[in-house]
Amino acid sequence: MKNALILARCNLFGVMRNLEVLGSLDQGFQDLARRREMTVQFIVKGGPLGHLSFNGGTVVMKEGRGRSRIILSFTSPDHFNRMVEGKANPLPLKGFTRLKFLTGPFTEMTGLLEKYLRPDEEALKDPVKFKASTILTAYTAFFSLVEIANHDPVGRACARAIPDGTIQIGINGGPGIQIHAQGGTLRAERGYAAKPRAILSFRDLTSAHAVLNGCADTFTALALGDMEMRGFIPMIEHMNPILEMVSLYLK
Amino acid sequence: MENLYTNIKSRDLFLRAVKVLPTGIPGHLGPVQSQFIPTSAFPFYAERAEGSHFWDLDGNRYIDYMCAYGPNVLGYNNEAVEAAAREQAAKGNCMPLPGRIQVDLAEKLVNTIEIADWAFFLKNGGDATTFALMTARAATGRTKVIRIEGGYHGVAPWTQGPGAAGVLETDLKENLMAPWNDAEAVESLMDAHRNRVAAFIATPYDHRIFADNQLPAPGYWQRIRELCDKHGVVLIIDDVRAGFRLSMKGSAHYFGFKPDLACYCKALANGHNISAVVGRESLRSAASRVFFTGSYWSSAVPMAAALACLGELERLKGPELMISLGEKVTAGLKTAAEKEGIDLVISGVPSMFYMRIANDDSLMMQQEFCAQCALRGVFFVSHHNHFLNCSLTDDDIAQTLETAARAFKAVAEKYPENLKK
Repeated sequence: MKNALILARCNLFGVMRNLEVLGSLDQGFQDLARRREMTVQFIVKGGPLGHLSFNGGTVVMKEGRGRSRIILSFTSPDHFNRMVEGKANPLPLKGFTRLKFLTGPFTEMTGLLEKYLRPDEEALKDPVKFKASTILTAYTAFFSLVEIANHDPVGRACARAIPDGTIQIGINGGPGIQIHAQGGTLRAERGYAAKPRAILSFRDLTSAHAVLNGCADTFTALALGDMEMRGFIPMIEHMNPILEMVSLYLK
Repeated sequence: MENLYTNIKSRDLFLRAVKVLPTGIPGHLGPVQSQFIPTSAFPFYAERAEGSHFWDLDGNRYIDYMCAYGPNVLGYNNEAVEAAAREQAAKGNCMPLPGRIQVDLAEKLVNTIEIADWAFFLKNGGDATTFALMTARAATGRTKVIRIEGGYHGVAPWTQGPGAAGVLETDLKENLMAPWNDAEAVESLMDAHRNRVAAFIATPYDHRIFADNQLPAPGYWQRIRELCDKHGVVLIIDDVRAGFRLSMKGSAHYFGFKPDLACYCKALANGHNISAVVGRESLRSAASRVFFTGSYWSSAVPMAAALACLGELERLKGPELMISLGEKVTAGLKTAAEKEGIDLVISGVPSMFYMRIANDDSLMMQQEFCAQCALRGVFFVSHHNHFLNCSLTDDDIAQTLETAARAFKAVAEKYPENLKK
């Protein structure tokens, strides 16, 4: 069952983490992030703690506390989730003088992210936007998967069954995501592993977009070669129920 | 240049299938569940089958080591079985009353399987395991069942794992899990859940997928029997997969112990749809009280086929024959692999051996080997134990080993860094 705490973790470490890479996909974001030097701390009571650092165009999301000049506080995971949906505002505890950043560039940045994650049909006709949307959707899905695997009770039961090793998720001609499994705990990392134990790859961006957005089922995609899996398949089989839970959380 | 198989007509049919069938091929014969890696190397559909062979839609012939995942035990289209089925079909199949064949078959099972005092007929292996569990619950008034981690007992919700689509946490809450070959863990569970465990269910040996199959440790089953007796727990053997490939008297007999209930399906009727639960006298009353039935429960044709199949297996000494054939196949495969620096690990009972290339821990070499075999007409899968059938000939084995040698060579060329020096 959907749990506000897990959803908050997905939103912070799955969805908002995409700000780390948005600059490489969108010139507008690059322009907004350039020359920014600050850290935004997110404190969710009874929920996740994370900070987002802007440093000369580079953006890094980390779990825990950072040396922040802006602190955004939320009374509950639900409060944070409503903020992500645009239905609530955070309580700034520190950095009132930087409210202009929050209400201006930061809001524009998250707005850009939302446009890619919830694109309209017109936007998807543009190959550049289609590519960016697909890549960000993939990152969202697999980074959120890790949050569910490590924190949701059913997700944890599934993750415990995943044998140790690295699952390589890849989009041919596109980015890779590594899911490292160790003792039932998962960790996601962008990029390609030298020696994965299992590989789940998409034929191209189109097939990745269709599967990740629920427009194609994985069994058919695998049978038709739009997706391919190789290696120690129990890793992928036990990961799949968690991937299905991502769509329940981030519907 | 070798001519490798292509599967154009299978692909074309699959494109039609995906429009009208979820996943195109639902169930364990689907290309994903079957671990066809890559899918392009394998056929998706069979046109016909005979003996140890099947032909795909493109006319390619395969020597088959999956035997429809077990049901083909005598050879596809076995004449004795099919003649019995035809004869019964001419008399009647689904009728308003069961045919006399139901009693004949029950008597045959009671006289064949060591522990059987009665028999109950169903349609699939999963029906049998669920009925067995319900019988145990009816007999004991308890709810919990001890299962083996990684064990497979069908697809009813209680047999599945957390997170499986359509399965609720409440479906699984009565399951207690123990590792295979760990009688102490079973004892701990029975102690911790005293008077609440209805049944212990396991396969006669550990033939799970994706792992080397493990035989029972010396004394394991005898200890489990003692624990079940001590705690009043019903001991259920899921002999669906192994039944009649180890011993006509039941796989429990092969391993020297006596369960309370035993479940059969695959090899029972050489491909005709029927399963059975057999049990000891003490559980007859409980089995009588469990209402478990279906539209085709008493169909007589599969019962006639089963009766003929059991007769043929006895005549041929089927289990011993299949074990002997499996020994020949696996010894040849190991030799062919070694020539290429490939470490092929064979496990399980030879009549349903599991094989794994151990040069790496990812199964990628294993998957490549199975694909290369499929492209040359030998049907292996990379994740599951294989099945022998009584009709396999020495020529089939020789052809298999020639093909395997070429496939191992192809694997060695693709993964030179993994080969044994």
